[in-house]
Amino acid sequence: MEAFHAQGEAMNDKLTSSKSREPVPVHVVGQFSWGLTILFVLASVCWVLLPYTGSTFSALVFLLAIVLAGTRWNRGPVLTMGVVSALVWNFIFLPPRFTLHIEKPADMIMFAMFFVVALSMGHLITRLRERERTAENLHREQEQLQAAKHRAELAAEAERLHRTLLDSVSHELKTPIAIIRTAIDGLGTANPFAAEIETATRRLQRIVENFLEITRVESEAVKPSPDWCEFLDVIHAATSPLQRELLPHPLRISGAETLPLLKLDSRLLSQALANVMHNATQHVPAGSEIEISAAVLPNDTLDLRVRDHGPGLPPEMEERVFEKFARAPGAPAGGTGLGLAISRGLMRAMKGDISVRNHPEGGAEFLFSLPVKTRQP
Amino acid sequence: MSKALIIDDEQQMRRLLRMLLESRGYEVCEAEEGQQGLQEAAFHRPDVVLLDLGLPGLGGLEVLKRLREWSDVPVLILSVRDQEATKVQALEIGADDYVTKPFGSAELLARLDVIQRRRGPRHTPEIIAGPLKVDLLHHEAQIGDEALKLTPTEFALLKVLTEHVGRIVTQNQIVKQVWPGQSSDASEGLRVHINHLRKKLGDRGVSIVNEPGIGYRLEA
Repeated sequence: MEAFHAQGEAMNDKLTSSKSREPVPVHVVGQFSWGLTILFVLASVCWVLLPYTGSTFSALVFLLAIVLAGTRWNRGPVLTMGVVSALVWNFIFLPPRFTLHIEKPADMIMFAMFFVVALSMGHLITRLRERERTAENLHREQEQLQAAKHRAELAAEAERLHRTLLDSVSHELKTPIAIIRTAIDGLGTANPFAAEIETATRRLQRIVENFLEITRVESEAVKPSPDWCEFLDVIHAATSPLQRELLPHPLRISGAETLPLLKLDSRLLSQALANVMHNATQHVPAGSEIEISAAVLPNDTLDLRVRDHGPGLPPEMEERVFEKFARAPGAPAGGTGLGLAISRGLMRAMKGDISVRNHPEGGAEFLFSLPVKTRQP
Repeated sequence: MSKALIIDDEQQMRRLLRMLLESRGYEVCEAEEGQQGLQEAAFHRPDVVLLDLGLPGLGGLEVLKRLREWSDVPVLILSVRDQEATKVQALEIGADDYVTKPFGSAELLARLDVIQRRRGPRHTPEIIAGPLKVDLLHHEAQIGDEALKLTPTEFALLKVLTEHVGRIVTQNQIVKQVWPGQSSDASEGLRVHINHLRKKLGDRGVSIVNEPGIGYRLEA
C-alpha cells in the first residue's frame, strides 16, 4: 500500500515535470523581448566601440550572447536572436553601413558564415540543454521510483522483522513453559506442590499466549482466510481446549444444528468465541449453565450469542470490558484482562464485531456479529 | 522395542523427551541440529522421529523435506509455532502429525502410537478403526454389525480418513485423493460430503473432527 502510494506520488511528479517542459507562452514572450533588448544594448555598445575594435569584434560579441542565451532559453527566442543579430550586424557593422547590401565578397562570405554559425550554435546548444534536461528528468523519475521501491522494501522488511521478533519471543517464552509442563507431567500431580506448579504453569501459558495474540492483533498481522465450514466445528474448536474450565458448566447449544454452511475464518472465530467462553467460566458460579445460540440473519450476518447466568456486568462496563487490561471489580485473580480485547480485535479483523449487554433475565450476554456467505448443505 | 529419534536444539527438551520416551520403553537417540539429525536417521533407522521446526542451520521443514527423499519413517512435528499455515505446510511436506509446544505428555505419547501404526503394505483389503470396518474390495463400510449406505464419494472420503485414523489429513490431501485432478478449491463440496458422512456415521464411536484451517481427523 505504501509502495503504491509512493508510486502515485512519483507519477504525479512525472506529470508536472512533463508539463513544465512545454514552454509557457508568457515565459517565451519574455525571452523574446529580453533577447531583442540585449541585442539592442550590445549593438549600441559595439557601435560605440567600433572605431577601436572593428566589425569582427561585434560579430563575436553577438555570437557570445547567442551561446549564453542558448544555455538558458528556449530554441525559438535563441534562433530569432541569431537571425536578428546577423541582420543587425550586416545592417550596422558591415560596410556599406545602414543597408542590407554587402559590397565585398569577403564580407558576404563572413555574413553567410556568421549566419550559419549563429543559427547552428543556437540550435545545438538549445538541443544539448533539452537533452540534458530530459536525462535529468528521467534520472529524477528513476530516483523517485527507486525511493518508492526502497520504502516498500523497508516496509516489507519491517513487517518481516516484526514477525521474526514475534516468532523468536514466542519461541523463547514457550520453550521453558513446555519444559516445565513436560517435567511436571513426568513428576505426576499426586504431590500437592507439583499440582500447584502445574496450575501456575497453565496460567502462565495462557498469559503468554494472550500477550502474543494481542500483539498479533494490534500489529494487524491477523489476516482472515475465510473458508466454508460447519458451525458446529467452530463451537467444537472453541470449547475443546476449555474442557477443564467448562467441566462445571453445562453447555446448551441452540440453532447451530440447522445453520447452513458458512464461509468464514473458523480459526479466528473459534478463538474469539473461546476467549468469551473462558471469560464466562471465570465469572459465573459453578454449576450454572452457559448458552450458545446462533442464527444467520436475512442480511447474511451471523448472529452468535453467548449467555451466562452469572451476576452480569457492573453498570457502564459494557464497553470497557473490551479494553485491554480492563477488569471488572470483583473479577477473580488470574485473568490477563486481554481475552475480550483479543476477541474484539479478531472479530474486527474479520469485519465483524462483538458487544455485550446484561440479559433482561439476568446474566451477561455477548453478541457476535459477522458478515458471512452461506450455502445450504 | 521402538527406536525414536529426537531432533531438537533445546538440551532440556531433549533430556525430558528422552526420559519420557524411555519410561515407555523406547530406545532413544538425539540430534541437536538438522544435518546431524539426518545423519542419525540414516545411521540408526529410527521407527519414529520427533522433529522441532526452529532448528539452527538447516530448518525443521528442510530436514523433513530431505528425510522424505529417502525415508517414510513416521515424523511427529513438535514445535512452538502454532500458525495454521506452518502446520499445513509441514503436513503436506510429509509430516504425520503436529503437536504444538507446550504439550501434554499423554497426548504426545498417544500421537506417537497412532503415527507408528504402519502405513506400509496392507495384507488384507480391510481397514479397521475401532468399531468401523472399511472393505476396500467390495467398497463397503460398516460400524459394528450395521452396514453404512455410502455414495462413492463418501466411501472414498471415509477410506482416506480411515487410512489415516487418528492422524490429521489436510484439506488438500483429501481433495487430491477423493477428487484427483481437481483444484483444491473444492472445499465447499468437501464440507458438504463430510457433513453427509458425519450424519451417516452418527454417534457410534467414530467421529470426524475438524481442525480449523488445517483439515480433518477420524477418531475411533
